Amino acid sequence: MAKSGTAQAPLTPAVLHILLALATAERHGYGIMKQVKADSQGNVKMGPGTLYGSIARMTKAGLVRESGKRVDPEMDDERRIYYRLTGKGQRALEAELERYRGVVAVAEGRFAHGT
Amino acid sequence: VWWRLRKVDLRMAPRLTGRRYWKWYATLLRLYPRAFREEFSEGMTQTFHDLDQEREQAGRSLFGFLLWAFCEAFAGIVKEHMTHMPQLGKMVLRVALGALAALMGPLVASQFVEGWNWPAGAFVRVYVLFFATGMAFVLIARRMGVWSYKAGAGLALLAGLGLAWSTMVQTADSEHPERLWYLSVLVVGLLGAMLARLRAEGLAITLFAMAAVLVLIAAVLPSGGPPDMARNMAIGHGVYAALFTTSGLLFRHAMRGRTSRSPSAQ
Repeated sequence: MAKSGTAQAPLTPAVLHILLALATAERHGYGIMKQVKADSQGNVKMGPGTLYGSIARMTKAGLVRESGKRVDPEMDDERRIYYRLTGKGQRALEAELERYRGVVAVAEGRFAHGT
Repeated sequence: VWWRLRKVDLRMAPRLTGRRYWKWYATLLRLYPRAFREEFSEGMTQTFHDLDQEREQAGRSLFGFLLWAFCEAFAGIVKEHMTHMPQLGKMVLRVALGALAALMGPLVASQFVEGWNWPAGAFVRVYVLFFATGMAFVLIARRMGVWSYKAGAGLALLAGLGLAWSTMVQTADSEHPERLWYLSVLVVGLLGAMLARLRAEGLAITLFAMAAVLVLIAAVLPSGGPPDMARNMAIGHGVYAALFTTSGLLFRHAMRGRTSRSPSAQ
């Protein structure tokens, strides 16, 4: 979810990581946490409170949505609630990544030319 | 809500037998706002259980995990309530937390200063005083966006708080109940503010009147102590009178600033 309420504004680190985690697959809460931890090389560790607080705001903003309950074949036989990215969430992620690319391009140019 | 939580309890109970802390976590989740709890408590409980399994397999400390998970959930509860609260509720919560932070001063100091033995009731009264002062500032200051109005209100309330505090302390510590007369300064302030309906012009007059009443009381009441004590009291009176006067001047500045921008104001 964008800080200012628009999809173009920078996303919070938690929201960006959740969007990234859901970019390629539907995941349940624990699955999202594991993916975020792996994506950030262990630097971002969110607990259930942070994760579901972010999911609540992202659901309200239309970035993610619940995609039903099912068993995770890699875990026990408990049915878990899965989440997936919406079209708006996909666009917000792409816009954010584009923003990051722009920042990196500016930084690289600056360091290359020393200006 | 209760039935839904019970359903979660019953469904997950078999694999969590004997884990009392899971029940504590489920109980903590009941403190979330209802809408949030209904939608996410099941997922949060599942995730908590999964994290606990991971911890167990990795051989990590149970205490550390519980401390982290419970603190994290508690922070989430506060955040969600703040999100769902109306503006006034948020403001009250902020003032309450600010008053609590201010109370830490006397609370910590009482542990180190010899002879500072307040009973629990005194701390409660001081907290109420801090909270009331904070709420009064927030409610008064938002009536006008001019800096001098806010500064005048803040200064007047701080001086009033100081006067109320020192009067209470002196009355409690000495045998001079006549010093309760100082509270009449605050009564003048309260009545004046009500009559002025918190308008800058009326508040300026009120603050000047408070300063005048304080000087009058100081002149009429005997100090009842040795000369050095009388001198200290005179200095104290001077400081409070100066604070009330400065506050009155700030309100007058606010009134002039507003009048110069908008002739129809006030």
